[in-house]
Amino acid sequence: MEQFAPVKRSKDGQPVRYLIVDDSVFARKNLARMIETFGGQVAAEAGDGLTAISEFDRTHPDIVLMDITMPQMEGIEAAERIVQQHPEARIVMVSSVGYQENIVAALQRGARHFVQKPVKPEVLYEVIKYVLGEDGAVTAAAGAGA
Amino acid sequence: MTNSPDERGAELRELFFETSTELLQALNDEALKLEKTPGDEEIVRSIRRTVHTLKGDSAACGLRELSELAHQFEDALSLEGAASHAAVAEIAFSAADVFTEMIAAYRAGTKLPSTKSLSKKIEDLTAAPQASPKGRRTRKAAGAKSGVRKAAGSATDWTEYEKLAMTKAQASGQDVVHVSVKIDPHCAMPIAGRQLVQNAISTMGSVIAVRPDAKSPAATKLIEFVLATVSTAEQIATKCKIPTIVEEVSVEIMLAASTGPARAAEDATAAVAESAEPKTHAPETLAPAGAEASAAPAMVENILRVEAGRIDNVLNLVGELIIGKSMLQQTLQEFSKRYPKDLLRGKFLDAMAFQARVLNDLQRSVMKIRMVPVDQLFRRFPRMVRDVARQCGREVELVVSGHDTDLDKGILDAIAEPLTHLVRNAISHGIEPPDQRRRLGKAAAGTVRLNAYHQGNQVVVEVGDDGRGIDAGKIRAKAIELGLTTAEEAARLNENETLDFIFRPGFSTAEQVTEVSGRGVGMDVVQSVLHRLKATVNVETRVGQGTTFRLKLPLTLAIIKALLFWVEQRLYAIPLNAVMEIARTIESEVHQVDNYEVLQLRNQVLPLLRLGRPAPEGERRGKLFVLVILVGERKYGLIVDQLEGEEELVIKALDDQTFSTDLVSGASILGDGRVVLILNLPAVVDHVAKSRPEDSGHTNSGLLLTHTDRLRIAMSAMSAPTGGTA
Repeated sequence: MEQFAPVKRSKDGQPVRYLIVDDSVFARKNLARMIETFGGQVAAEAGDGLTAISEFDRTHPDIVLMDITMPQMEGIEAAERIVQQHPEARIVMVSSVGYQENIVAALQRGARHFVQKPVKPEVLYEVIKYVLGEDGAVTAAAGAGA
Repeated sequence: MTNSPDERGAELRELFFETSTELLQALNDEALKLEKTPGDEEIVRSIRRTVHTLKGDSAACGLRELSELAHQFEDALSLEGAASHAAVAEIAFSAADVFTEMIAAYRAGTKLPSTKSLSKKIEDLTAAPQASPKGRRTRKAAGAKSGVRKAAGSATDWTEYEKLAMTKAQASGQDVVHVSVKIDPHCAMPIAGRQLVQNAISTMGSVIAVRPDAKSPAATKLIEFVLATVSTAEQIATKCKIPTIVEEVSVEIMLAASTGPARAAEDATAAVAESAEPKTHAPETLAPAGAEASAAPAMVENILRVEAGRIDNVLNLVGELIIGKSMLQQTLQEFSKRYPKDLLRGKFLDAMAFQARVLNDLQRSVMKIRMVPVDQLFRRFPRMVRDVARQCGREVELVVSGHDTDLDKGILDAIAEPLTHLVRNAISHGIEPPDQRRRLGKAAAGTVRLNAYHQGNQVVVEVGDDGRGIDAGKIRAKAIELGLTTAEEAARLNENETLDFIFRPGFSTAEQVTEVSGRGVGMDVVQSVLHRLKATVNVETRVGQGTTFRLKLPLTLAIIKALLFWVEQRLYAIPLNAVMEIARTIESEVHQVDNYEVLQLRNQVLPLLRLGRPAPEGERRGKLFVLVILVGERKYGLIVDQLEGEEELVIKALDDQTFSTDLVSGASILGDGRVVLILNLPAVVDHVAKSRPEDSGHTNSGLLLTHTDRLRIAMSAMSAPTGGTA
């Protein structure tokens, strides 16, 4: 797997914390592995929208990676509810091309960005750097040299 | 809007007529202000700006006479020392009146009113000492022109309104920047990409214009924005460089922030009027303004002018869609029962959820269009109060509150006339002449209060005064004199019943018929308009202290969230927002107090309303559902047999011919075609309160409608076009 220069939180230099929401265990693990290569940390995982909301409230992650089609509550609604409660929440929608309208709807409701499934690590990396903006800092990995 | 030049001209004129009401309103307001603080140069300047805009707009529509007169007035106002002239306010008032008459004449195609007296007054102003025209005006206009040319220098044509917004933003200390964003052609989801760009841009400032339109086929290639912002070009470029979506960003400053806000704002109006003046050019630039509404949300209030009927049409269609949605939902439920394992179910659910969400947004958006702040009506009153007070020789101060309360536009228009009557009456009948007030130990100036607020599912509009109040004794005497009642009957009436006489046609207690009021027409008009709106009015009066008229208006949302329930095998609904809670109880918990049924619920005693007949003794099923409802400020318990659930109902108005009870405010059709009646709760409560239990021989004997009534409603609701109001 490729190596990326770790992205840390600029305020305290700690790893960026993620909440991964997807009903597929495989998809979650896949995203978790990518995140680890970015120097991030998985704060929590959720398999449906309702759990996503409660996990967000519990862990206050820096970034949420949110699938769109899920049982119980869909990603759009979950994203909307989270943003209503926490306007500062950074939510990145993760979905396949066929769901473009849903992504537009999610963006209108406060999601910050989207990535397309299957997720390419280099794309997700750029998206995360963009979404973090000034709150994220790319650090030269010890020894790796980026 | 690609009509012939003639049609465009007509459309433009129509737009002018509509916008001119606002300008004239502003002129009136400014004149009122000036009357209070004579000699205020700032107010005189804003009067001049208003007149200037009126001049430019009317010239653009080819209304020469109006434009010339406005021009004359404007010139007079720009004279040195004009501001200190005491007559300016007076002239502004008569100018507003003459302009109004002229516009009405243009509109109706009738002969223009005489403008001689106004012209004369303006000339007198010009003849005032120290009259030397300022050269500043022309210079300023020239400067503004070059500013706009700079803006128009870019590849895209901006509409007049967008240009106006640009100059305004510039005047308020923001940079106006032009941002073009090229979407990466490899981006797999360009529509979502465009949305993301829009989101990013809107965090950087306020978007004045977007090209091309989101619906255009080129919408996702190169997008151009005009942005009012305080951020730097680099900050914007960084924010817009969205990885994997945006290929290229360019940011250039169109108008740098101006340092003198007031001057620039003046320039802005001048610039727009200036560029709108050439007659042949104006239609092309002004007409598309409405079409650009979606591109510049901040400007909607200023530019979108749509006939209310068209919005009603959309609202009706939304209503039909909601019925369609519940049809689909029911079908899906049946489908799920039949094929519980079919994979298609999930896809169905997804699609339905998406559609429901969009529909919900659509409905909310359309509703919002219909709602307007009551201020649109209230702001007419300052001028009117001033005029009426003068005619009647009263001193009156108008106190307005709650002007941002939202009200359905249709209702707002309908209550304009009744409200005017009430305010006139308050001044001419209510408020005493100043010397009389002083003798009574009151302030010489009386107060008229206008207030609006939401109460439950109603909007309350109040007109109050601190005048002499209404003497019930006088009303009684007058009612007997007019033969409306007999002396014995009158003696039995309580105060509210007595006050009801003032709403009878031809009833007036004013000793003297004045020009303004007291002709005995008016209050019955008030009553009949309110009746048509299914609204109520109540009067609160204290002799010597004043009177308050309280209009209680329905919110008339054509679509309501309702609670559905069964009474005697029939389906009814009530607005969900009236329901405080749902309780279960047993028949033996229902107690009789003074022949009314009551229920003790926790620590409060609820009066009960029984829609059906109580089951005969012995056959009583033990359990009851009680809906705790809030009507006005009181809680009641509504006894129902069974609950059906919550649903969004599209109200179909029932006309009086098919249905003559006020207990029902409308009907609705459910997804499966069943008809449900929506109860008018205030009337239901009223009915129970009025029906004397001893008359019916039994405790409130139920309010159920007859079967034939229901049939007729069902038929009319099916065939009638959906009504906007209920």
